[in-house]
Amino acid sequence: MPTFIRLQAGAPALAEDPFTAVGDDQTIPPGDVIISLSRFQTEGEGLLSEGRQVGVRLESHEDVEALAYDLPRIAVVALAFPKFGDGRAYTSARLLRERFHFKGEVRAVGDVLREQAGYMVRCGFDAFEPADGSTAQAWERATHRFRHVYQRASDGRPVAFEGRGG
Amino acid sequence: MYRYDQIDKDILADRSAEFRGQVARRLAGELSEDQFKPLRLRNGLYLQLHAYMLRVAIPYGSLNPTQLRKLAWIGRTYDKGYGHFTTRTNLQFHWIKLADAPEILDALASVDMHAIQTSGNCIRNVTADPYAGATAEEIDDPRVWAEAIRQWSTIHPEFNWLPRKFKIAVSAAAKDRTAAKTHDIGLNLKRARDGVLGFEVMVGGGLGRLPHIAPTVRPFLPAQRLFSYLEAILRVYNRHGRRDNIHKARIKILVAALGAEEFARQVEAEWEKIGTSADLPDTELARIRGAFAPTAFETLPAVSEAFEAAKARSPAFARFARNNLKPHKVAGYAIVEISLKAIGQTPGDATAEQMEVVADLAERFGQDDIRVTHEQNLVLPHVKLDDAPAVWAALAEAGLATANMNLVSDIIACPGLDYCALANARSISVAQNIAAKFADAERAERVGELKIKISGCINACGHHHVGHIGILGVDKKGEEFYQLTLGGSAAEDAGVGQALGPALPYERVAEAVDTLVDVYLRERQGAERFLDTFRRTGVAPFKEAVYADVH
Amino acid sequence: MKALTANRLIDGEVVFWRNGQWVEQFGDAQLFNDDDPAGEAAEAHGKNQPTVVVEPYLIDLTQSQGLWAPVSYRERIRALGPTNLNHGKQADGGAAIEALQHAHGAARSTGRVDLIKRK
Ligand code: SF4
Repeated sequence: MPTFIRLQAGAPALAEDPFTAVGDDQTIPPGDVIISLSRFQTEGEGLLSEGRQVGVRLESHEDVEALAYDLPRIAVVALAFPKFGDGRAYTSARLLRERFHFKGEVRAVGDVLREQAGYMVRCGFDAFEPADGSTAQAWERATHRFRHVYQRASDGRPVAFEGRGG
Repeated sequence: MYRYDQIDKDILADRSAEFRGQVARRLAGELSEDQFKPLRLRNGLYLQLHAYMLRVAIPYGSLNPTQLRKLAWIGRTYDKGYGHFTTRTNLQFHWIKLADAPEILDALASVDMHAIQTSGNCIRNVTADPYAGATAEEIDDPRVWAEAIRQWSTIHPEFNWLPRKFKIAVSAAAKDRTAAKTHDIGLNLKRARDGVLGFEVMVGGGLGRLPHIAPTVRPFLPAQRLFSYLEAILRVYNRHGRRDNIHKARIKILVAALGAEEFARQVEAEWEKIGTSADLPDTELARIRGAFAPTAFETLPAVSEAFEAAKARSPAFARFARNNLKPHKVAGYAIVEISLKAIGQTPGDATAEQMEVVADLAERFGQDDIRVTHEQNLVLPHVKLDDAPAVWAALAEAGLATANMNLVSDIIACPGLDYCALANARSISVAQNIAAKFADAERAERVGELKIKISGCINACGHHHVGHIGILGVDKKGEEFYQLTLGGSAAEDAGVGQALGPALPYERVAEAVDTLVDVYLRERQGAERFLDTFRRTGVAPFKEAVYADVH
Repeated sequence: MKALTANRLIDGEVVFWRNGQWVEQFGDAQLFNDDDPAGEAAEAHGKNQPTVVVEPYLIDLTQSQGLWAPVSYRERIRALGPTNLNHGKQADGGAAIEALQHAHGAARSTGRVDLIKRK
């Protein structure tokens, strides 16, 4: 079982993952699952009607816009980092939160390292599958590395210029 | 100079602490080199041929004396007593130890400096007109905008892992001293007819393997909408820029592939969705403007007797005044250019002692203000004409009074094969050989403006594509060869140079440049610069002369 | 003939392999015959020391005045220091450095893709 960290009341904590990630070539097990976009488009309706929770995994080249109308019934959007240097998922996460007001879980999967924790949290990720075996404590430290931020983002953190009082 | 507040200082301290931890984890084996490399690059640290190289950010090329002295101190303490100013107006130290890097970042932070995002696939150090605040030509002070961009781009949560590096320049006058059109984004400050301040936005310029001059995607963007527009551009790029091929990953390729019009349409569509929420409030822009230390100019006569007398007395000073002094917006003041291109020296290098001399002069005569230009020189932007002779004398004593601004020996050269792990051939010694041919200052002045730019490989850090004469080091069957191009320009008349002919061996380069200059002197009409003559005659006469003995 | 080189992790110094150790002078490097499997064994060993050196690789050598020197110009600059200033290893001087400085018969420039990274 890989490590799974979730923000709870804003703080990273080790959590049980109720979802099973299912590849396109695997049969779907019972319970809550995360499946690919293409699989969701063909099988999502049926799975949802069985009353289970469904998450969708988006590869970094897949547009979040493809999910726009399904978001209210999706529990998790898992955004893939094929390499930790591939930064497309940051934009996807911000769009999910800020443009589509997605309230479910936005999960970082793939090449997920603690060095990215701060960026991810700022862009609206709230669940992580670290590939570097990071503990929740390490994730917490990395998340709060910077006492101030210069930009508005999805986390609603006060921005430097707000504290400066003009 | 923008004065840091506690927030700005805390961010540097936090960044430094973060990197200290990353270095410790790398040394302990918890981070692999593949994982660590992008992290160290984002803190300016490269592994070069002989050691690590640390690239220190000099945001929009602006320094105060305390900072320059600290750079001198770092050079003496952790390097070999010097530093190298780059075409991105940064300073590189070439002999750094990984174990020392966290200490150096702390030392930099102590004077409000850093190395954040001076490398890596992120938004790099923003550059601006080095004459900001000193030239009468400027529409508005570009430093205010550049500092706001610096803050916005620092540790940006969404745009720190772009397909490729990303460079922004802010030009503020019709005369472009920033090479704006060779940037990923070039911003040119403008006023609309009704007086509203704004920017012409150019996107998709860049040198390297496939040089592009940036097309204008928006002729006028109201200044208060700058940040939402930048966010829209970066977002379109982050999503759609190519990540499958490092040579096609710059935004220039995306802009060229879509066409400037379609690219602009996508940006505008995104911009509309973003709305004004991403814009910086006017209050913050006003705060940044106010945080720049004020300059206080005296009321002086336009003509300085001391200055005129010194010129009459000393032909050397008169030459310096002719070439290195530029008009200031205030009567009785001048902008003083300090050449880091003394004949025989390494272009852009300054010793710790030279840095200290410049810091002292800025303190005594220059309102504590120093600038770095993308042409690898320094500037004292506010010097009284009365003081110019004293400044010159002190510069001359330190070997810094070479009167060759914009002349043939004012050569841009990247570090090349002497230092750079990516190089094909040397740049520095080629520059030295060429400069030696024009050591005669009188001849150099007769030749007039001539911009030679040399890169040691196709990455084009030496901007060779946009040199009036561009020189590119190539590797031909294991030997150092050089491809010459003519007719490029990085200024408002920007263009990519045209190949002269087959690459030349190392030994023939300086002599070929000499020949090119002779052809120009023969062909020129009236007050034509080398570039003008070349653009009129085309490559033929130049080519013929250089390859004459080969036929 | 070949030698194994790398940059040391902690300070970036150019180093050469000698019987299980990393030494700073090319003159002290262990030389391998082109077909000697010990060269590649040493390279593999170096690659297993990620906290000691970065990216070890074998370089080709050529004989010059009875001494061995790196074929590529880039490698000679690494072994000596830059040509614009008397910095780096060349500053220490000594017979081995001098021999390298005067080495003839080597290609002037890099050719590193073919010559150095060759497996
Ligand atoms: S142009 Fe090439 S050789 Fe020169 S500094 Fe850039 S990468 Fe190095």
